[in-house]
Amino acid sequence: MAATLAARDRRFGQLMAAPGLAALLLVIVFPILFTLYTSAFDFTLINPRHDTFVGFAHYARAFGLAEFGNALLVTLWFVVAVVVLEFAVGFLVALMLNAVERGKAVYYAILLCPLLINPVVVGLIWRMFLHPELGIANYVLGLVGLGPVNWLGDPRNAFWTLVVVDIWHQVSFMIVLLLAGLASLPKEPYEAARMEGAGTLACFWHVTLPLMRPVILVTLLIRLIFAVRTYDLVYIMTRGGPGQATDLVSYFIYRQAFVGLNIGQASALAVLLLLIVLVLTAWLYRHMRSLV
Amino acid sequence: MLVRRAAATILPHVVLVVFSAAILLPLLWVLRVSLTDKLTAYRIPPEWTEPRLDNYIEIFTAYRFADWFSNSLIVALASTLLALPLAVAMAYAFARHDTGGAPLRLGVLASQMLPPIVLVVPLFALFLGAGLLNTYAALVIAHLTFNIPFLAWMLVAFFEGEVRQLEEAARIEGATRFQAFIRVSVPLAAPGIMAAGLLGFILSWNEFLLALILSGRATQTLPVGLSSLETHRGVEIALLAAAALLAILPVFVLLPFLRKYLIKGLSLGALK
Amino acid sequence: MRKLLLGTTILGLGFGAAEAQTLNILMESVPDTRFVEELLPEFEAATGIDVELEVVNYAEMHTKLVPQLVSPTGSYDVIVVDFYWVGEFAKAGWLQPLDERIAADGFDTSVYFDSLQDLVGQVDGEQLMLPFYNYAMGLTYRHDLLEDPAEQAAFKEKYGIELRVPETWDEYLQQVEFFTRDTDGDGKNDFFGVVNQGLRPDPIAMEWSNYLFANGGRFHDESWQPMLDSPEAVKAVEDYKRNLEEFGPLGAASFGFDEAFNVAAQGKAYSYLTYNMFRTAYDDPSQSAVVDKMEIVAVPNGGLNGAWGWAIPNSSPDPDAAWTFLKWVESPEIAKKRAMLGGSPTRKDVFADEEVLAKYPYYPALENLLATSHNFPVFTYTPQFVEVLGRELSLAVTGEKTAEEAMQTANAELEALLKQDGKL
Repeated sequence: MAATLAARDRRFGQLMAAPGLAALLLVIVFPILFTLYTSAFDFTLINPRHDTFVGFAHYARAFGLAEFGNALLVTLWFVVAVVVLEFAVGFLVALMLNAVERGKAVYYAILLCPLLINPVVVGLIWRMFLHPELGIANYVLGLVGLGPVNWLGDPRNAFWTLVVVDIWHQVSFMIVLLLAGLASLPKEPYEAARMEGAGTLACFWHVTLPLMRPVILVTLLIRLIFAVRTYDLVYIMTRGGPGQATDLVSYFIYRQAFVGLNIGQASALAVLLLLIVLVLTAWLYRHMRSLV
Repeated sequence: MLVRRAAATILPHVVLVVFSAAILLPLLWVLRVSLTDKLTAYRIPPEWTEPRLDNYIEIFTAYRFADWFSNSLIVALASTLLALPLAVAMAYAFARHDTGGAPLRLGVLASQMLPPIVLVVPLFALFLGAGLLNTYAALVIAHLTFNIPFLAWMLVAFFEGEVRQLEEAARIEGATRFQAFIRVSVPLAAPGIMAAGLLGFILSWNEFLLALILSGRATQTLPVGLSSLETHRGVEIALLAAAALLAILPVFVLLPFLRKYLIKGLSLGALK
Repeated sequence: MRKLLLGTTILGLGFGAAEAQTLNILMESVPDTRFVEELLPEFEAATGIDVELEVVNYAEMHTKLVPQLVSPTGSYDVIVVDFYWVGEFAKAGWLQPLDERIAADGFDTSVYFDSLQDLVGQVDGEQLMLPFYNYAMGLTYRHDLLEDPAEQAAFKEKYGIELRVPETWDEYLQQVEFFTRDTDGDGKNDFFGVVNQGLRPDPIAMEWSNYLFANGGRFHDESWQPMLDSPEAVKAVEDYKRNLEEFGPLGAASFGFDEAFNVAAQGKAYSYLTYNMFRTAYDDPSQSAVVDKMEIVAVPNGGLNGAWGWAIPNSSPDPDAAWTFLKWVESPEIAKKRAMLGGSPTRKDVFADEEVLAKYPYYPALENLLATSHNFPVFTYTPQFVEVLGRELSLAVTGEKTAEEAMQTANAELEALLKQDGKL
């Protein structure tokens, strides 16, 4: 009896997952298989045919590409910086937002605004703000005796400028998810904790954090994947420069594919990136779930 | 004690006001730029000119802003409304019945770890073969490729935890699995579903690359259309500022709806 | 409904078409695109062909085009091609040769400047494109300052030569130094001798090319042997870096042409070496504080050429209608109308037209620009070379490499790309 119940449960689960999976299979599987297959061929846009099999040559070449290594490193720092900083700011704001009632909808509407501007426009607008000679940012700093700052023309500054603009644009993504998580927490554990005399901080540490762990995990993972995919902002703001300071890997792969026209090589780089991110994700997923 | 209480009520507002200001001040400057011309926009120290609405008129007359906007709205709404039920069901299966286990879950997400640029050529071929180029259908379907996996992943977290017991109680009272899902699990996960839907809409609203290669003149979306304001003779920054602010408009359409959901979210249980 | 009506009308007229003929054109957002758009009703009235003109961002155009061109049938009848894609498009065989159509209709291609025919017209003797508009680079400068007697006297005292429109590169570099000033006495320069566009990859690569030619350097010799490790090329990098650091505004290493233009347009720079279409923009009071104060002249030794061409892709659904459009848009009348609206012509007869000259007195200077300009190396991997050159220049400008190191790398990578293309 128990076995059949479990089997029925399993079947119900499969039934529920099936339509979504079918829709995904229909559109995404062919492009992914194409990418895997193409990575083993000398497939360029000049000669877009799978007629020269090169095996793992593109993969072998990837390890010798100094630019690819640099791009991976820059991306690693970028991802760590934006995910950590956006989580810190995002969680704080979400907690505060969850604690207020008055003005909540107004605050919420305000924080959604940057999300509705697409990255290309965000990049162009911030380039205007950050123009060292003609921008409002340096003018305001000048009024209080600071600056002028060379926001995008200096390799070190350019990286952090990019991070800050990304935070302005994307931090609300985390707030929306984390706030939804906070809003669906049950009340009872808090009441129990209060009865035992726990303070606000203790409640946060022993009740909120453990209960929020699944939502936090998902928020971090999704934001991480998006951060790895970042390319529009770099494309508009720095083109990977100055020097190679902001050469994110997605933009590097874009250049391999559409400037170098080498789809085979770009596919191999993309697959390598996929493997790296997948391993990282699986590790984070297991690690964080085991904490629950 | 009273002081601590007062601090506890005021502190969140202090944080929120500071944060809102950080978001809003740049947007106010965008507003200012949208009411002037390029010459004034780059004047340092700033010069104040009589606000003009020219830019707001020009993006409708000289550019096809209304078409871009409605195309984006159609595509984003359609792809979110289609993706949401599929993703809710999938997330529920993952969370409650562990369908496919971790490999399937990660597999669904893995499709999003490839930089989208390498998918351009095969996706284009796919839609060309299906005769769907330059149609809304192409854009909506293409946007499902990221909306389904992301929404499902966001939602898994909201179907885990306490909900299970309530659902089992409903089952004991005779509800079928599907009824229990619809009547118990979905309402409990409502804040998550709303948030995921909102973010799905935003993802689609801002998507650029797929829209660029799959759209035609009639189906051009806002990101693709607006990027043409970065021209070979410079950036039409004042027009762009006006367009950027108009692109935020959906927030205000959503506002009454959001208000309801935010308050409902609160009633489901929170810190206090 | 309108389409349906038009369709039945044409059917009634005996054209035999089941519906209105529609021509799909993909263009990038350049000033000329707007002028073509304005004139389209004339074409539609004359031919009964409906035109759907789709405009995309110029930087994204390549991404949009390539999948279209790779496939057997695409959505576009007519496209425009930037000069640096020409080698790639020709090699891949994506464009239809126009020679037969040109011969059949007696279309005269001798009216185009030779340098533009080389760049965006003929490839290996085949006419693959018609030159659409040019963006050859020139030196834009503040003629009001140059003609100021006080400035002239001060310059003569300091350098012992006349202050005049620069005819040699050294003369220009001296002027750049001379005009860089701290006008408000706060210890920081606030008027600059030059503003540069140091953004990777094409802004810096294109601008620096002028420095290369001005120093007497070349990209390669007659047999495609790369020459970027020459002393001239290294000197060009040093000149560029010095201009950018000592005589230019903060952050010029990250400027695209929009940022750089704005510095000049706000009246904060003496000169800006840029695409000639900005000459018109300086006289637009909605974006410029230096109306009637800027003039353009050819870079000493000749600057960099640039242009876009019209083409009919192989994937074009209706090449005949496409040719009808090309003939119309490149006809003397329409080319002149585009120029009158502020376009950048490619035909000599437009440059000689009295009405055009009366409206734009600087056209002889532009003609000289085209006549003296040099072409960027056009081969299959030009875009990739632009990336390499842009990266190396940016590394040199930010001090992460010396000028020699950067040029050696650029030279080696150019050689590798040329070998890959079979040029070497």
